[in-house]
Amino acid sequence: MNNKFDALKDDDSGDHDQDQGSPKDSEKEKAEDEDKEQNTSKKKMVVPGAGEHPLQYNYTFWYSRRTPGRPASTQSYEQNIKQIGSFASVEQFWRFYSHMIRPGDLTGHSDFHLFKEGIKPMWEDDANKMGGKWIIRLRKGLASRCWENLILAMLGEQFMVGEEICGAVVSVRFQEDIISIWNKTASDQATTARIRDTLRRVLNLPPNTIMEYKTHTDSIKYSMGRLPWTGES
Amino acid sequence: MSTSRQFSESRAIPTRTVLINDTTQLPHDYCTTPGGTLFSTTPGGTRIIYDRKFLLDRRNSPIAQTAPAHLPVIPGVTSQNVLRENKKNEANNHINKHDGKPITDDAQFEMDI
Repeated sequence: MNNKFDALKDDDSGDHDQDQGSPKDSEKEKAEDEDKEQNTSKKKMVVPGAGEHPLQYNYTFWYSRRTPGRPASTQSYEQNIKQIGSFASVEQFWRFYSHMIRPGDLTGHSDFHLFKEGIKPMWEDDANKMGGKWIIRLRKGLASRCWENLILAMLGEQFMVGEEICGAVVSVRFQEDIISIWNKTASDQATTARIRDTLRRVLNLPPNTIMEYKTHTDSIKYSMGRLPWTGES
Repeated sequence: MSTSRQFSESRAIPTRTVLINDTTQLPHDYCTTPGGTLFSTTPGGTRIIYDRKFLLDRRNSPIAQTAPAHLPVIPGVTSQNVLRENKKNEANNHINKHDGKPITDDAQFEMDI
């Protein structure tokens, strides 16, 4: 049941002035789960509390914000993204979610990311480098509801694609919002089709909403600050 | 063994045919098991599955009312107070740059069981 990918090696790059610690200490009710095989030498495992409903995986919330116009290099992206915290149960999830602004109320160029514990919300993470994402562009006003439905489906294991789901992102932009769900193997068409079908069912999207699948390698190649677009395919 | 027998009327099993033209017309719970998913296979074995309603029902549990310990303070992003639907308007007044019309989520899924 535990995510087999490496736990994060560092919480973050160094220059944050906030407490980056996630509430792992206070969530632990029993010590027996502490010595599991995961290499969490510096951090304690998040575990469900007594009487709480465990999730199939632990998850971590992240938040990022970028000054529009500045090119996003890997380094600046990594520095702009902050962990909010991790949870292991339904109740712990609500503790976070109920104390976070809904995406529709975020300002500026901001994102929430909800990824399985141990997977960084970056293309370069081992879990993501062969992967891709379904993206859905939404007109303003829909992001909060769609984000909530998306993450409830993900946490509730509604996608039924084994270990393939990595995480979900909601991106607040100038005139539109974007939600996306990331999976590990972009070439696995059975998986991507099943994710698409689940999205249609759980998101209750407006008719004619377009869903697009993008591999991360394409995103890496052609995003700002990396290879110049030469016009070749 | 009963010696008297009565033959009941035989009837065809009643069926109802509903013509649909598009997958969007399928009932939302078509082919699901209660509390389960749309799919018949479970890749990777048995999993912990929760449907949307179950998750939403846990929102008001006492444990979920307090902020997590060490919740980072990010103005405009995290809050020490519980943010609910009816508090969304308050948040809007301060940070509103988008369409401020609240969306009544209650009406969203009328068919949800």
